[in-house]
Amino acid sequence: MSENQTAVGLRGITKIFGEDVTAVDDIDLDISDGEFFSLLGPSGCGKTTTLRMIAGLEFPTEGSVQIYGEEMGIRPPNKRPVNTVFQSYALFPHMNVEDNVGFGLRMQKVDSSEVKRRVAEAIDLVHLSGMEKRRPKALSGGQQQRVALARALINRPNVLLLDEPLGALDLKLRQAMQLELKDIQHEVGITFVYVTHDQEEALTMSDRIAVMNQGKLAQVGRSEEVYETPSDLFVAGFVGEMCFLEAEVAEAGMVRLSGGQTVAATTSDPAGSKVTLAVRPEMLHLFGDASEAPSGRNSVAGTIARNVFLGDAILYEVDIGPAGMFDVRVENIPSMRRWDVGDQVVVDFHREAATALSE
Amino acid sequence: MTDLREREPIEDDVASPKLERKARRRSSWRGFMHAAPAYVYLTVFFTLPLIIVFVFSFATRSNIGLPSLSDWNFDSWTRLAHPLVRTIAIRSFWMATFNTLLCLVLAYPFAYWIATRSKQLTRTLLLIAVLVPFWSNFLVRTYAWRMLLDSDGYITQVGQALGLWDRMLFTAPAVFIGLVYGYLPFMVLPLYAALERMDWDLVEAGRDLFASGPKAFQKITLPLSKPGIIAGSILVFIPSLGAYVTPDILGGGKTNLLGNFIALQFGSAANWPFGSALSSTILIVMLFATVVYFRAGGRTV
Repeated sequence: MSENQTAVGLRGITKIFGEDVTAVDDIDLDISDGEFFSLLGPSGCGKTTTLRMIAGLEFPTEGSVQIYGEEMGIRPPNKRPVNTVFQSYALFPHMNVEDNVGFGLRMQKVDSSEVKRRVAEAIDLVHLSGMEKRRPKALSGGQQQRVALARALINRPNVLLLDEPLGALDLKLRQAMQLELKDIQHEVGITFVYVTHDQEEALTMSDRIAVMNQGKLAQVGRSEEVYETPSDLFVAGFVGEMCFLEAEVAEAGMVRLSGGQTVAATTSDPAGSKVTLAVRPEMLHLFGDASEAPSGRNSVAGTIARNVFLGDAILYEVDIGPAGMFDVRVENIPSMRRWDVGDQVVVDFHREAATALSE
Repeated sequence: MTDLREREPIEDDVASPKLERKARRRSSWRGFMHAAPAYVYLTVFFTLPLIIVFVFSFATRSNIGLPSLSDWNFDSWTRLAHPLVRTIAIRSFWMATFNTLLCLVLAYPFAYWIATRSKQLTRTLLLIAVLVPFWSNFLVRTYAWRMLLDSDGYITQVGQALGLWDRMLFTAPAVFIGLVYGYLPFMVLPLYAALERMDWDLVEAGRDLFASGPKAFQKITLPLSKPGIIAGSILVFIPSLGAYVTPDILGGGKTNLLGNFIALQFGSAANWPFGSALSSTILIVMLFATVVYFRAGGRTV
């Protein structure tokens, strides 16, 4: 298979439930072969419905789903070259681990000795050897998750669909599984389509991310692109932490904050338009007064309104007047200067860190 | 509220294994008290009559037909070996089995259909519809069937017009129509309960793992609804085995079944001890069979 072959192609797919509930609204998307692709968005944004339409568990109201160029139409799930890892795992409670994992192969009437060999292989891949005869109930959440993964992967699908597979696990286990999933994807080399509402998880794992909002695609791009150059306010707010300030475009590349001060920022709207200035908290620095701050950068004066101890960092809320607040994240290192509520400070940031976004 | 700090510490206040046991005993006693009314009722009005039936089976039939509670013996139990008893028992067994199967085949798709309706209101209404017949007396409903099945009833006339059947009342099909009608709800309800509890994600997972619709049903839905099948089968089989009213009214009481055979012993045959022995035997066999059936089902689900 060539490098840029399209694994999953969505052409104008729309899904309307009942009379007028539009879950997915006219989406066009190409997912490349071998890619780790995430559908990211808040609950109810249509990401799971999109995944289910690829799986064949739901059929689009309009548009088409193509898998490796083949039109899927209303082909049922058992006739599609994809497998799903369900959010609830959906392990068969009346079968043991071995029978759960081998289910797909047995349904495809694969030779029983072959089934046996591949079940052992798949169980080994997810490190569950010795658990073959256990019922799902007798497994921990993390182990159940691995069974669900093995049960899908054993079929060697062209595309593996994962619906918030780590949602039910605790933080430490989730982080460990994120890395393991990445490794497994690397090992088996198939396309992963991963649904999640956790932006950090999406950034960590994905080659590319599609951010969804209200049934539509908000932005599609590499993790870095989505994080560094969000296309709109929704993406800016949903992916990572972001400070938003009320402003107005003064001229190209210059923005006037509500209350007076002008700063340099990336703009795309004409002068005079109302915009929101977006800056990442980790891009901001604090200084006692303007003379300490390096020249050639933006510096905005304000007052410390609150300080929150986070452990690895301290978050300062800096009030700069009518435009709003800056959240400044300062790493907790020995040389760090501490500020108290009421202190006068200057917030410093590079012009490229600030983006003016319109509604 | 009293301030706890002002009180002198009492030895009993300190937690100890002894105190914990006391609390546990107290709560188990409370639990028993809740159950006491039902407990007393069942003992007096349920267990005692059963014991009387069992005791009577060892009594003697007196000349005037009433049981004599003096000469205790095993005569009635030995009579169970009579070939007639076996013939009747086998006939009743097959009738109950066939009725259970008929109910299962009819009820399963129906329960499945109700359980898969998306609106809660639709499901509730359909379930109420299943229960509507219970609002009137069983005997009355059976007589209503008699009118429908009689030679001037619609069912017989339709059959005659189409040349399919001549008469309906007092035939085996009439008995089965009546039995299925009477016991179908007892099959529908447990099946519905089992199917409604089903996690349909499992069926979707099956479809996703290359199972066709029928295959997913066979491998996932059917095994997971097994508790419902078992419960429904028991609820239908047991009363069908001793069915008395339906075979009598719709079948004309022409064939001897366990139900009317026992009734006969307490009626015109006036042999209470033998009737008691028959009843006790059925009870013991059914109890044993039910336990075995549940055990067999419990292991696989």
